[in-house]
Amino acid sequence: MAEDAAPKIGVYVCHCGGNISDIADPETVARFASGLPGVAVARTNMFMCSDPGQKLIADDIQAGLVDRVVVAACSPKLHELTFRSVLQRNGLNPYLYEHANIREQVSWATSDHAEATAKSESIVAAAVAKAGRLQPLDPIVVETTPCAAVLGAGVAGLRAARDLAQAGIEVALVEKTAALGGNVAKLDRLFPNQESAGELIGRLVDEVLHDERITLYTLASIDRAEGYVGNFTLHLRQKAGGVVVDRAARLNGRTIGAYRPFEGFMIGDHGAAEEGQNGDDERAVVIEAGALVVATGFEHYTPTKGEYGYERLPQVVTLPDFIELMAGVEPGSRLEHDGRPIKSVGFIHCVGSRQVEGVNKPQADGEINEYCSRVCCTATLAAICDLQEKCPGVAVYDFYQDIRAYGRGHEEYYEKASKGGAVFVRFAGAEPPAVAKAPAGDPCLVTVRCKDGLTWGEEVEAGVDLLVLAVGMTPSDVSTLVDSLKLPVGTDRFLLEVHPKLRPVELAVNGVLVAGASQGPKDVTEATATASAAAAKAMTLLSSGRIELDPFVATVDSQRCEGHGLCVEECAYPGALVLTEENGATRAIVNAALCTGCGACVAVCPTNAIDVAGWTLGQYEAMVDALLAEPQEVTP
Amino acid sequence: MSETPRFDALVIGAGIAGLQAAVDLADQGFKVAIVERDPSIGGAMIALSKVFPTLDCASCITTPKMAAVARHPNITTFTYTEVLSVGRAGDRFVASVLSKPRYVDEEACIGCRKCEYACPVEVVDEFDGRLGARRAAYIPFTTAIPQTALIDADNCTLCGACVRACPTDAVVLDQRPREWQLEATAVVAATGWKLTPVGAKPQYGGGEITNVLEPTQMERLLAPHGPYGRVIRPSDGKIPESVAYVQCAGSRDQTLGVSYCSRVCCMYAIKQAMLLSGSLPIADITIYYMDIRAFGKGYEEFYRSAQAMGIEFVKGKVARLTENDDQSVTVRVERLDQFGQVEERRHDLVVLSLGMLPGEDVRQRFDLEVAEDGFVMTPQPKDAPCRTTVDGIFVAGTASGPKDIVDTIVEAGAAATEASLYISKMIAAAETATAASSADVTSPAADRVEVKV
Ligand SMILES: Cc1cc2nc3c(=O)[nH]c(=O)nc-3n(C[C@H](O)[C@H](O)[C@H](O)COP(=O)(O)OP(=O)(O)OC[C@H]3O[C@@H](n4cnc5c(N)ncnc54)[C@H](O)[C@@H]3O)c2cc1C
Ligand SMILES: Cc1cc2nc3c(=O)[nH]c(=O)nc-3n(C[C@H](O)[C@H](O)[C@H](O)COP(=O)(O)OP(=O)(O)OC[C@H]3O[C@@H](n4cnc5c(N)ncnc54)[C@H](O)[C@@H]3O)c2cc1C
Ligand code: SF4
Repeated sequence: MAEDAAPKIGVYVCHCGGNISDIADPETVARFASGLPGVAVARTNMFMCSDPGQKLIADDIQAGLVDRVVVAACSPKLHELTFRSVLQRNGLNPYLYEHANIREQVSWATSDHAEATAKSESIVAAAVAKAGRLQPLDPIVVETTPCAAVLGAGVAGLRAARDLAQAGIEVALVEKTAALGGNVAKLDRLFPNQESAGELIGRLVDEVLHDERITLYTLASIDRAEGYVGNFTLHLRQKAGGVVVDRAARLNGRTIGAYRPFEGFMIGDHGAAEEGQNGDDERAVVIEAGALVVATGFEHYTPTKGEYGYERLPQVVTLPDFIELMAGVEPGSRLEHDGRPIKSVGFIHCVGSRQVEGVNKPQADGEINEYCSRVCCTATLAAICDLQEKCPGVAVYDFYQDIRAYGRGHEEYYEKASKGGAVFVRFAGAEPPAVAKAPAGDPCLVTVRCKDGLTWGEEVEAGVDLLVLAVGMTPSDVSTLVDSLKLPVGTDRFLLEVHPKLRPVELAVNGVLVAGASQGPKDVTEATATASAAAAKAMTLLSSGRIELDPFVATVDSQRCEGHGLCVEECAYPGALVLTEENGATRAIVNAALCTGCGACVAVCPTNAIDVAGWTLGQYEAMVDALLAEPQEVTP
Repeated sequence: MSETPRFDALVIGAGIAGLQAAVDLADQGFKVAIVERDPSIGGAMIALSKVFPTLDCASCITTPKMAAVARHPNITTFTYTEVLSVGRAGDRFVASVLSKPRYVDEEACIGCRKCEYACPVEVVDEFDGRLGARRAAYIPFTTAIPQTALIDADNCTLCGACVRACPTDAVVLDQRPREWQLEATAVVAATGWKLTPVGAKPQYGGGEITNVLEPTQMERLLAPHGPYGRVIRPSDGKIPESVAYVQCAGSRDQTLGVSYCSRVCCMYAIKQAMLLSGSLPIADITIYYMDIRAFGKGYEEFYRSAQAMGIEFVKGKVARLTENDDQSVTVRVERLDQFGQVEERRHDLVVLSLGMLPGEDVRQRFDLEVAEDGFVMTPQPKDAPCRTTVDGIFVAGTASGPKDIVDTIVEAGAAATEASLYISKMIAAAETATAASSADVTSPAADRVEVKV
């Protein structure tokens, strides 16, 4: 496009069903836009993102009516890419596009109709002003490392590694502990089909150990990570005793191992300890990967001391403890704990989950766990069924808020437990059960007292010999990775996907995918489904050997740069900006792949030598001018 | 078509599951056929209002996926075409499909809707939950893909108005159904769900009480351009002052043969209640429930904001619904939170939170085994949730049991991975066989599995 040719801007205002048009009036906004300088056409549509909406733009481009496009619609997070690709498909540079958000920023935030329409007009005016100053840009093309790293060898990590390897991609599978299988390996039989955890893990591990595209590191943790999609570098530290299973190890037959109940799958004849790579020393490992799959899972919530009697009364245990206890009980035998016979067992749901402000103690970060842990209801019911089957005489009391047996085959455990005589007591989150040591002489050891929502809030008291706390899930600690790659985390502290429906297994950092319970509580079925879905994304990313990145990066005008270096100090991304000698003069240069386009350097440059492509100071000024311009009357 | 068209993958059903699986496979370079029996792609989701837990409008999420499928160079879309059967033929599958007549030439139609405007026949609109009307010549909805008209032969009076109105002479009233075949290496069954019948329970009026609605009808009332453009009572247009939801109205009930939990009803009821309190700020909204199953990511938080908005949650079993003279509905409820005491309350409008049944008879048509709940059986539910009892046929979305959109989309991605690996394996095996027969050398198959670009 010739520099001086006057831009022909097309403005398209979306109704978004009624999301926008119920408050702001798209027709008025479009009429207003049509009077702005440079605007060639202004149109409206019910859903700009739909095929008919996109066609409006395509037809105008094809007809030569427009050469720059502004869509006024929802957040750019949703559909900026959708519209850029309309430009591209119709032969226009995709970066001659500007998005105006009049849904989240206007119609969802403003209730007054006239105000909303006026505000939409200002936002559109700013977008148009910027659009007039847009320059065609070329995406930054980078080669990708044809390898993926999978962090965590629970069911999700194992499944993701296996899928990627079978697709021909080299995989580095990194596990923090000595064992494979994660939390599932610490269970016995799994709902909904009572498959044994050992069999399930065995099957997955078998595929992983026999695929020579997978290199496995155990007892390895991440010190830091750097890089960008296509080219990540992970710095690991492997503890003494950590195992590396690579092609060489496989040739030497060092892939044998065994599943140990309640520990996991251990590599090596006698467990991991003998297979250490480097004697007793820790060692550093560096891994290059084109894509990362974070499958670091969860940790059981640890009740605080005294919460429901935990760590105060020996009869109070967690659900995982109870599952392990029951695994050792033969059907028909007497149930014992702590050397005493157990005739009644109580279960309390939602321990560490669905917490209520002011009732539950805040966590270390000052927040409560508002979320539901999704699996503990069915896991508790399955444990009750197991108990009823093995020890028919034992009385069961179940204290719950809602029974969330939602999944396929889950409701059956609820029915079975009820038929088996379990007594259900419903508590409200604001009034959780109170647990106390039973008075001396009482036949039971612990009393649980609570207002029963099923009997008009009547105060009920149950005496039990063992109290099981259905502890929820909390995310594993992946702070080193989160900090070094600046990964987004939700208010629930789990990793946060870009959008639960549009991009459910992608994190906002391109090339980093999430699988399993590291994203939020999930059962095994759901964890492996996310793992395979993440594998699909990684396969697409790595299949062509190259990736295009957005060109919104800093650019240095070497004529103006005087080499002060303030920008380098300001830049938070190592390697993105460096000073070099150029014909005897010091100049800043940008590594486009590492630059995130944050603009921190622009603000500090004393000679205005730096700009971010696609977001230049000139473009900002034009936008601000348009926003501050007096509202003008437009004649239709 | 004289030659049987061949694809790497056949995706049956173009709901959100099928759309996602098709895109994921096509992005990896595979040639995909997606076959949908309705006149437009989009499935059930395109008819929803806004979707939990983000309250995005359903169209905003679905239409771009529909567009991505429609214009993907590796995807061929067949609409108004039903997959009748799938059978194995050697290393691939052969599907028999039936293309129903639109009575409109797909190539010639430009989607101008002139036929629709000219058509004098008004028919109850299924898409709008039978609350609105459409013409006998019509485009199913504004964002339909393809934007091609069709004529509903059952209701057409052959008056010829559409023929005269069409500027491109696209109306062809003598089209016939066409049965044909296509071949694919792998199949993804994304055949979805249908609602449990509204009339199943005589105690709830057996589907005869006008102001007892299906939840999908409420979705349409709440949708941006639904039948009335706002929420009113269908019987008389009254703006409802009180709306009630009856949870588990079609699920968790052995007398209906649906003992399972349908997994989405708690959340869609809460969502609709929240949307209702937005559009009817003074209305009282009550949800009668047994357990609130807000189990997904962000769902408990969603439930809490509904409570904070003043929506009333009553733990109780609804025993009976009766219609009153003023067309309101009396709900007789056994309060589980009050010793089972029985209470009666009047509401202007009642929504039955119906559950999900399988959308297709997959056993009969595709020879897939089903589980006790009637949905596609997944013999390895834990580590391979998309595998079926037939090697090479994978399942995605609600075809294997009720689930919400988030879980459906994730599962579609997983099914695409399974299908992709399977197809690559089959291609490699075929190449090995060819190489072996031509050069008489064998190469290890495992080394040759690769992702197509
Ligand atoms: C009490 C209880 C009972 C359950 N019962 C069932 C059941 O019967 N059926 C069912 O379907 N589901 C059940 N679940 C759910 C099941 O445990 C999870 O779905 C499953 O563990 C999730 O797998 P994952 O791979 O995502 O995470 P995890 O199993 O937590 O695995 C994560 C792995 O990552 C490793 N890791 C963590 N941090 C790092 C790091 N920084 N670097 C490298 N590696 C790291 C961990 O060591 C671990 O090996 C139950 C859960 C609970 C709490
Ligand atoms: C009232 C209600 C409200 C809801 N609201 C929400 C919400 O807010 N958020 C949320 O996450 N979920 C919600 N859901 C759930 C959501 O609707 C489902 O998760 C989603 O529709 C599942 O998509 P699917 O692709 O599996 O099935 P479908 O959308 O049913 O798609 C299946 C497709 O396959 C086609 N098909 C079937 N058999 C054949 C064949 N033989 N040949 C060709 N085509 C065939 C069908 O015509 C259909 O188009 C709601 C559900 C209900 C009932
Ligand atoms: S799954 Fe059940 S026990 Fe666990 S937090 Fe949710 S409601 Fe509570």
